[in-house]
Amino acid sequence: MDMQLTGIASFMVRKLIRLVLLLIAVSVFSFVLVSLSPVDPVNAYVGADMLQIGSEQRELIAQRWGLDEPMTTRFFLWLQQFVSGNLGTSMIFNQPVSTVIANRFQASLQMLAIAWLLSGFLGLTLGIIAGAKERSWGDRIIRFYAYTLASSPTFWVALLLLIIFAVQLKVAPICCAAPPGVLAQDVTLWQRLHHILLPALTLSIIGVANITLHTRQKLIEVLNSDYVLFARAQGESLVGIVRHHGLRNVILPAITLQFASLSELFGGSVLVEQVFAYPGLGEATVEAALRSDIPLLIGIVFFSAIFVYTGNTIADLTYQIIDPRIRLS
Amino acid sequence: MHLSIKLPSYAVGLALLVQMISACTPPTSQQTSSVAQQNAQQTGSADQIVLAIGGESEEGYDPALGWGRYGSPLFHSTLLRRNENLELVNDLAINYRVSDDRKVWTVNIRQDAVFSDGKPVTAEDVAYTFNKAAESGGLTDVTVLQEAVAIDEDTIELRLKQPQSTFVNRLVTLGIVPKHAHGADYARNPIGSGPYKLVQWDEGQQLIVEANPDYYGEPPAIQRLVFLFVEEDAAFAAAKSGQAQVAAVPQSLAVQQVDGMKLYDVTSVDNRGLMFPFPQSNAKTTPDGDSVGNDVTADRAIRQAINVAIDRQALVEGVLEGYGSPAYGPVSGLAWEEPDADIQDANIERAKQILAEGGWSDKNGDGVLEKGNLQAEFTLLYPASDSTRQALALSVAEMIKPIGIRAVVQGKSWDEMESLVHSNVVLFGWGSHDQTEMYNLYHSKAAQGDFYNAGYYANSEIDKTLDLAMGAPTEEEAIAFWKTAQWDGQQGFTAKGDAAWAWLVNLDHTYFVSSCLDIGNPQVEPHGHGWPITANIAQWKWTCN
Repeated sequence: MDMQLTGIASFMVRKLIRLVLLLIAVSVFSFVLVSLSPVDPVNAYVGADMLQIGSEQRELIAQRWGLDEPMTTRFFLWLQQFVSGNLGTSMIFNQPVSTVIANRFQASLQMLAIAWLLSGFLGLTLGIIAGAKERSWGDRIIRFYAYTLASSPTFWVALLLLIIFAVQLKVAPICCAAPPGVLAQDVTLWQRLHHILLPALTLSIIGVANITLHTRQKLIEVLNSDYVLFARAQGESLVGIVRHHGLRNVILPAITLQFASLSELFGGSVLVEQVFAYPGLGEATVEAALRSDIPLLIGIVFFSAIFVYTGNTIADLTYQIIDPRIRLS
Repeated sequence: MHLSIKLPSYAVGLALLVQMISACTPPTSQQTSSVAQQNAQQTGSADQIVLAIGGESEEGYDPALGWGRYGSPLFHSTLLRRNENLELVNDLAINYRVSDDRKVWTVNIRQDAVFSDGKPVTAEDVAYTFNKAAESGGLTDVTVLQEAVAIDEDTIELRLKQPQSTFVNRLVTLGIVPKHAHGADYARNPIGSGPYKLVQWDEGQQLIVEANPDYYGEPPAIQRLVFLFVEEDAAFAAAKSGQAQVAAVPQSLAVQQVDGMKLYDVTSVDNRGLMFPFPQSNAKTTPDGDSVGNDVTADRAIRQAINVAIDRQALVEGVLEGYGSPAYGPVSGLAWEEPDADIQDANIERAKQILAEGGWSDKNGDGVLEKGNLQAEFTLLYPASDSTRQALALSVAEMIKPIGIRAVVQGKSWDEMESLVHSNVVLFGWGSHDQTEMYNLYHSKAAQGDFYNAGYYANSEIDKTLDLAMGAPTEEEAIAFWKTAQWDGQQGFTAKGDAAWAWLVNLDHTYFVSSCLDIGNPQVEPHGHGWPITANIAQWKWTCN
């Protein structure tokens, strides 16, 4: 037991060091890349008002955001601030970056969580059904569904669902996280759920196909193994075999995929939030990149790096709980 | 959306699949009629309407940072206002006068205005607002202001560094903020003396505003407005599903029918035109070292011939689905447009004549004219993401082919184009109620390697006239000079004169508006974002029960 605890501790320390190195690399790279991008932040900020903003005013704008300093100076100014716990101010939102991320992530988190659980659950269930009844009609339909989804762009699926459920059937709202015109304190839990369901469902669809197909493949492998043959010979039913031998084997790749899919989920949320006008972190990311809002973009990149890294670390840790053969040492 | 987990999972998949396929087939007539019935039921009322007209101000609602720069800042009152004919009328101001040296603007304000927190609007607040706007690096340009001083309770002196007749536009657009409540979080909690006050802002989603009971003007008839911040397609979906009572849609969607809604096509000065590089190539470079000028478009015959050859009405019909009007100058439809500058277009014969007189001929018979070693050919750039500009660019290239000029049409991003706009023909779009824009498009001083006067147009006579307009004491007097600069019978920057641009069309802005909603007569709208249609929102009325 002692051995295992020190194992976990050193594992965590190593992970943490790697994370810090990763974040340093990420911040330097994104700072340099965004600074070198052809998007001029002052132009991006001024936008359509180009001809009514004189050069004097442009200088004022550049000064206000510190854009008149060279890149290296700006990077070290930013780093200095960052070390003292200040992520800077977003140009687009005129608010501290940490506030923007906190507000936006709150909205995204619920959607991501629902989508993540849904895709994991659906993916695993569909995969097991397809794998257990290989070549049956159910298997064919599930595979067809999975292949179709795997090759459909997320935004397209989102638009289709929007057209069907919101515009034609009118059972889902067309946008936003709450009904238009309702004050925050009057929004009911059901209304929130109602608004989150369609985007979350769309988002979960990305993960379903992947997990379904991998689970199915793994289960077929298991079912064709010698020990299952032996179990069958002893009169074990198909349900029993799946429960006692299949699940444990199948769940490992599923969990790996599930946690690794956090990055895909994060990326998918960018598109889904655009289509459903859902005000999450994804929407802010697009804005920040298009308008060269460096502090916000780096803040989000940082945040998503930690988010995805944490997901992968959790996957690593869960292995040994599910399968004791995988030991940390 | 009633997905039951108890269903066998493949059934869920099947159900989804069937619905995905059914989306591709046209709805049956039964479905259509039931949808139509639902659409007819508008959910708006005098208590609340929903507007999907875009234009979120992500930065917040602080006039000192540029909120309200398109006019009608909603939560704030401005000193002056433009009425539906774009004439200047008093709002917070009861009068104003400009000193003889045109550098001091003295404004008297009304005494009965209060901010929504109950405190009176004083000369102090007005002076504070102008000083604050002048020093903050926001989106409203008040840099010409030396200082603003409150002389007494209701008198403010705005002292300028130099005369500027277009400064009147700051009096029209700059919303007055309360000095006592203007702090770091003001942009998210604006307090003003306008017709509406902010109730709730869900960033990226919606803005809820309610009528301000303390407003000094006519109380607004619609109690509560909800602005939905959605993309154009979603705005259309919201209108179709009866969830929005006003929706801004692109012209391509305006041809559709929405039950219970009327289409408003509002004239705008949102224009599109071809900018020609004016000097010879290699004459100079921009401060960034980008090349300036183009030998072909430096020839006036080329620029005039293109202007004459283009069939602008055909562009309106073909590209804008009829929702637009021909444009012959940068300010078509505004009071400071010179009508005599209009030309007869779609005239191929005249265009050929101009080119022949200019020394252009097709000696090698390849369909493209030459003059010496020069081929009548140039690159025509447009922002690739804009389908309307793409269609305009391609149509124009076709229209000038018969007169022997070849335009190579290329779509690029604005960032790519930035270094190319001084030496290639570019399809730009402008349009504003502020004449500063016209000044910046044509004054030689404005050519600094930015988007102002990108073609480096330079004519010292025009410069003088533009400067006279800028220095004029009143807008009326300035207008005479603005018109002269366009065409004075002898010269001007429009097609009959230097033809520095070939203006093509003015877009109409198209809105679906509930038939229960009376929005009065909308102004001629400017280019860009913001909410131009709300300029008279305090007069909107709900006409159904």
